[in-house]
Amino acid sequence: MTRMALAVLSVGVVAAQIARTDWPTYNGDFSGKRYSQLTQIDRKNVAMLGLVWAFQTDVNTGPGLKSTPLLVDGTLYFTEPDDVWAVDARSGQQNWHYHYHANEGLHIGQRGVGYYKGRLYFETPDAHLLCLDARTGEVQWDSVLADVKLGYWATMAPLVIRNHVLAGISGDFNDLHGVIDSFDPETGKLQWQWSALPLPADPAARTWPADTDAIQHGGGMTWITGTYDPELNLVYWGTANPNPVLDGSTRPGANLYTCSIVALNPDTGKLAWYFQPSPHDVHDWDAVQTPVLVDGDFRGQKRKLLIQASRNGYLFVLDRVSGKALLSTPYEESNWSSGVDQQGEPVANREKDPSPAGTLVEPDAIGATNWMSPSFDPQTGLLYVDTHDSFSLYYAFGDGKPEGFGGRDLSVWSHGYLRAIEYQTGKTRWSHDLGSGWTWTGVLSTAGRLVFTGDVHGNILALDANTGKTLWHTFAGGQAEAPPITYELDGRQYVLMGAHGVLFAFALPEVLLENLQP
Amino acid sequence: MQFFRTSVLLLLPAILLAQDPDDKTQHELTASAQAGKKEFQQTCAFCHGPDARGASAPDLIRSSLLSHDVQGDLIGSVIRNGRPAKGMPSFQLSDPQIRAIADFLHEEASIAASVSQKIPSDYPLQKLLVGNASDGKAYFDARCASCHSTTGDLAHLASKYKPFDLQTRIAFPSGVKPSITVKDNRGELFEGELIYADEFLVSLRDKDGWRHTWKRSTVKADIHDPLAGHEKLLKTYTDKNVHDLFAYLETLK
Repeated sequence: MTRMALAVLSVGVVAAQIARTDWPTYNGDFSGKRYSQLTQIDRKNVAMLGLVWAFQTDVNTGPGLKSTPLLVDGTLYFTEPDDVWAVDARSGQQNWHYHYHANEGLHIGQRGVGYYKGRLYFETPDAHLLCLDARTGEVQWDSVLADVKLGYWATMAPLVIRNHVLAGISGDFNDLHGVIDSFDPETGKLQWQWSALPLPADPAARTWPADTDAIQHGGGMTWITGTYDPELNLVYWGTANPNPVLDGSTRPGANLYTCSIVALNPDTGKLAWYFQPSPHDVHDWDAVQTPVLVDGDFRGQKRKLLIQASRNGYLFVLDRVSGKALLSTPYEESNWSSGVDQQGEPVANREKDPSPAGTLVEPDAIGATNWMSPSFDPQTGLLYVDTHDSFSLYYAFGDGKPEGFGGRDLSVWSHGYLRAIEYQTGKTRWSHDLGSGWTWTGVLSTAGRLVFTGDVHGNILALDANTGKTLWHTFAGGQAEAPPITYELDGRQYVLMGAHGVLFAFALPEVLLENLQP
Repeated sequence: MQFFRTSVLLLLPAILLAQDPDDKTQHELTASAQAGKKEFQQTCAFCHGPDARGASAPDLIRSSLLSHDVQGDLIGSVIRNGRPAKGMPSFQLSDPQIRAIADFLHEEASIAASVSQKIPSDYPLQKLLVGNASDGKAYFDARCASCHSTTGDLAHLASKYKPFDLQTRIAFPSGVKPSITVKDNRGELFEGELIYADEFLVSLRDKDGWRHTWKRSTVKADIHDPLAGHEKLLKTYTDKNVHDLFAYLETLK
């Protein structure tokens, strides 16, 4: 009875479930909440958190650790652009290391692997998808995602749904064409491909000019891992900006399905619905941010919700059955929109488009948030988002046919915050100042009523989920860009976070845990 | 001859580097590419457009063919064999003609990619000068003159900064360090340049060059950020304000 009452009361519980002790997929589970039900580390004892081990990648060039580690059967798997490590989660000892050959893809970051029955899936900078044996790191198969010569690259962590490995791609400078591919996990054969740029028979193709090649070069990359609702059998994915990026003059129209949230059937790749956070974007504000799935109350009605804190500064709460917007409201300061239309899509103030003389726009092109993972805590009903209040001068050069960026933005100022946002109103309940500049850490929330993140200086922080007050911190020696995760092994809860080339594992002291035993 | 060709090839990147094409809008093509451009205009431009960006036939600059081509090895066979299924006739050009066309297309593509990623250093000032200098002066007198003077700290400002730098500095100037006064728990006063502050610690460098760090909760720290006023301005600027101020400050040669 108590358990039933709890299930009814708490938002976000998809089905009655036991606390997960592992972290087997990019977001920990399919919902994208990055919320753990583990409670050993809590507000009272978090001040005692200490280092258990630190793992050195010994890779001192490149972007450093930006990946979310997976924890499967006592082994951690994490990445940099040309590297995959398997590390014993108890000791921090390396089990194996896979190094990819030299390649010409853009080495901008690597966000992690997918896992399926003893196999790992890894996207390379030159846009291949590799299947590795999780025991040894040996390559099982190698499939091409996209043509690196055209300017594609790849960074994202593939999403495994039953026998489908879903992989997205990246590329911004060369006016490319975004897709989501589904591969057979055992053979590497392509099962289906969904195109972010509509085929001619699709009415959405009318949101591009006819009679030009704009749609073929229209962008719509798919570079952040989506989420999945098993009950509806729908996968939710955000797509990136249209191309040319900052000059929309050759692509009048809404430019579907760029800057969109799409719902796809993972067995067929068929589109169920779409919602477009930034119609006809000209500010590089893609809509790839994690679509967080929450089952909860919305103004008195229990609903299946999808929540996205989008790069353009708007919070969107959608009904994820239909794709209809329930709430569209700014969560960070911005000056580019005059409000939303009947569909809940923001209406751009075209005076804030990039111009030859420069246009002062809030936020900058990095956006109000970016790829940093948000977290939703069903206990507090708060969405925790790493946000930037920022300004750029946006230039559209306006010479000849725009290509690639078609202009440039010069960021002039930015300040970072962790915002705790009420999902039914979009209001910030509390915000925690993370310092001047840009933070990239991502967020984890736990049933211990804690929120883990990092600041611009390189501090790793544990905050009170209700108030945002700092309860514990440690200096990581550099800004943490590998998002925090947590898991439990042998009755001990670990929190992991990576900064530059070091992955840190924290836990409560063993002597304290012995005293906690019943 | 072979040696000559090789050395030209080896020199090519150096020449491009010396000309620094990466940050300019106007680019000089190499001699071979210029010859290729002429050939392209005569033979290909009618369908592919004079700049190879496409007309009735596809944009070649963003094509898969060009991306994989090395010195005309793929482009050559398409030129010589045509693409009958797509209505492209064949053209019997010589090896040097094909090589020159390929050089032209590759240079165009590399210029397009570099322009796409940088602010051009030769960007015409006229494009930025859309504001009204006298409105800019009025704004300056009302909002800026309490801290700045066009004959003092800002004298000859437009000679010190390139136009893009000047405009971004109007929006928000970087590189100005805050100063700080700290009173420690024994009542001793420290003054200096702020070099670090997070929510836990604060550090200054004193006039003798020594760094001092305190736990923030144990001292009274007064930070004076000379850019605090600019943060306030940034939130209130209209585009007209920025353009007017730029038009005015650009006169301070």
